[in-house]
Amino acid sequence: MSPLRRFLRAPEAVAGAILLSALMAMALSASLLFPSDPQAIAGPALLPPFQDWSLPLGTDRLGRDVLAELFHGARTSLAVGLAAAAASLAIGAVVGTLAGFAGGLVDEVLMRITDAFQTVPGFLLALAFVSVVGPSLGAVVIAIALGTWTGPARIARAEVLSIRERDYVASARAIGMHPLEIAFREVLPNALPPVLAMSSVIVAAAILTEAALSFLGLGDPNRVTWGGMIAEGRTVLRTAPFLSIVPGMALVLTVLGVYLAGEGIVETTAVRRGLS
Amino acid sequence: MTVLASIGELTVTYRRDGGEVTALRSVSLDIMAGERLAIIGESGSGKSTLALAIAELLPSSSADGRIEWPGLGRTPLLGRDIGFVFQDPSASLDPVMTIGKQIAEVARAHLGLTWSQAYAKARTLLERIRLPDPDSALQAFPHQLSGGQKQRVAIAAAIAAGPKLLIADEATSALDTIVQAEIVALIRRLVAEDGMTLLFISHDIALAAELAERIAVFRHGRLVELGPTARIVGAPTQAYTRMLLDAHIGLDAAPLLDRAGLRS
Amino acid sequence: MSLLAASNLTKRYRRGGKTVIAVDDVSFHIEPGETLALAGPSGSGKSTIARLALRLIEPDAGRIEFEGGDFLALRGATLRARRARLQMVFQDPLAAFNPRATVARALDDPLRIHGIASRGERPRRIAELLERVGLPADLASRAVHEISGGQRQRVAIARAIATKPSLIVLDEAVSALDVSVRGQILELLLDLQREQKIAYLFISHDLGVVRAVAHRIILLDAGRIAESGEARAVVDAPRSAIGKALVAAAPRLDRSIRHNAP
Repeated sequence: MSPLRRFLRAPEAVAGAILLSALMAMALSASLLFPSDPQAIAGPALLPPFQDWSLPLGTDRLGRDVLAELFHGARTSLAVGLAAAAASLAIGAVVGTLAGFAGGLVDEVLMRITDAFQTVPGFLLALAFVSVVGPSLGAVVIAIALGTWTGPARIARAEVLSIRERDYVASARAIGMHPLEIAFREVLPNALPPVLAMSSVIVAAAILTEAALSFLGLGDPNRVTWGGMIAEGRTVLRTAPFLSIVPGMALVLTVLGVYLAGEGIVETTAVRRGLS
Repeated sequence: MTVLASIGELTVTYRRDGGEVTALRSVSLDIMAGERLAIIGESGSGKSTLALAIAELLPSSSADGRIEWPGLGRTPLLGRDIGFVFQDPSASLDPVMTIGKQIAEVARAHLGLTWSQAYAKARTLLERIRLPDPDSALQAFPHQLSGGQKQRVAIAAAIAAGPKLLIADEATSALDTIVQAEIVALIRRLVAEDGMTLLFISHDIALAAELAERIAVFRHGRLVELGPTARIVGAPTQAYTRMLLDAHIGLDAAPLLDRAGLRS
Repeated sequence: MSLLAASNLTKRYRRGGKTVIAVDDVSFHIEPGETLALAGPSGSGKSTIARLALRLIEPDAGRIEFEGGDFLALRGATLRARRARLQMVFQDPLAAFNPRATVARALDDPLRIHGIASRGERPRRIAELLERVGLPADLASRAVHEISGGQRQRVAIARAIATKPSLIVLDEAVSALDVSVRGQILELLLDLQREQKIAYLFISHDLGVVRAVAHRIILLDAGRIAESGEARAVVDAPRSAIGKALVAAAPRLDRSIRHNAP
């Protein structure tokens, strides 16, 4: 059975894939369906959902279209989640590979730096970074990566330590391969699978962290974000709860989708490796 | 001589990567009570599959055919009626359990002994496998032993319940020549003392010939040739058996160096 | 002058607070085009010596002269360049290749690293190497894990001869192979030795194989040299205790019945 078919047989993986596809469709179609600025005023303020079909999810305190905001927010969430996870995995994999492969003093220094980052709560680190650098999409991505790269780094190092002793690494040394080529061409690709298995957790955490930063007003002010929408709705929570509930639900479903799809991929590839 | 186990038209298929791999093709073979039978073959011959099938360690859905036990009169139970020794003793011994307990547990579970009786039995077994200082060895953990000693302990655990059949699946392949010879001698002695039947799975025809009374040669899942050791080694009827014999490089083989013209 | 001369090699390991001497003051030399066997029980230090000779690990004491130069003094790029002359074939041909490698990539690496052939020329050189070890050229596109064990060991040999080495360390290189394949691989190794004057450091626990292919032998016991000499002479009449034990333990195949049979 191919990995794809096995993936499609697991109901939770399919559910995750559907949720993720919906999110991606939202992000991709945002500027097609809602070409005008989502932060522009589109109608009367605080219009409840399902009243006016040109504004199906109603409007917020300033009269902005909630549906348009939701679609554009999907973009930000997805972009930040993927970019932050990619940055975090890349930093973690490189640091972990160098530490594990070089050993000795390099290992010691890199792992103590990892310890230092790990002892500071990730969210606090992100908060401090964004407050210093100023809120922008790039800053948010780096801020999140700063707090999450240590996990991948530790896993990559542990894998590299075991792979380093394999015959094929000795064989690469024996033919005179440069140590950096050995580390990044022979060792790293084989150390990656367990590191990549963490990606769904990191993407989900990154989306949540981004939302939390935006909620605290530390997101990119020029972009609509779900966290920002929830923060907006908070002030009118009693009179117009939908303003917080709609982006909140979107956030929950997205994180669930990422997590389920990621688990599905890990499960199917694990089975494949187990068989061979 | 009575038949201990009778294997009839046994076919085993594995599912792999969407396809089906046939590991054994309609194999029929009788194992005589009290004999030392060697199963030899190269990789992919199905010899290990046969051992696992006899020990009922294969998922039943993959096997087709019959295995009967006229010499036992009941369905055999692994551990009680069949002792199994694997190639890698580190993998078959529990790393966090003392050696004494691992052996005693087999005796307790299958012979209904109390713990103290089972430990006494384990101590006797450690003496029989000639582990130095059996009293302290009871309390030792597998990692404190050498590879050969671990294999001795695995054998002790396999025979703790007094099985009728001992299956040794490449039990000496991971060991060096000297330790291999010691383990083979140990197996020979234990089998003789307890009147066990031995199924010795090996890729090494010379080693098998030293130990077994009968040899069965397997290739690509089929039984190629079966007969008394002297006949198989001295007058094989199958070309494949002859090839295996010719491929053996013994201490008396004509040096390849001379043939290659590399001796100055 | 010897191709490789190791003198007073010593290697210690620290294991659980205790120091284990894996190789204890071992000296040996290998002449061009010669096969020197290292034999001994497990733990005798033979694989450690193989890895010391290749500088995959560093000795605690001793000297290694290779092709007239101080091999232990080489560092960085000079050491990597020198490695072209000193190659290795491992016991388990599956473990010796990157699990992701294709045959072509495994053979491309040495040619590229040592600048032996230009990028455009390499596919032809890879095909030549495959042909030299008795494999079809179209095997190049296959993944190493897909081909048979015997084919894999041939690819490992092709990889080792790609840089035209003067010495190849064979660490139990035929021990894991099926007997039907083992003979062919040994023949191939001897062919290459005759054609290219390659010397072998042949590590094995199998005295029968050692006697058949080696010129000289060193028997090791607990990290020390127990006995050495012409391979056939040592195996036929060992003088050391370990030599006698190894010979006594080797399985013997008595095929006399065949000759007596009517």
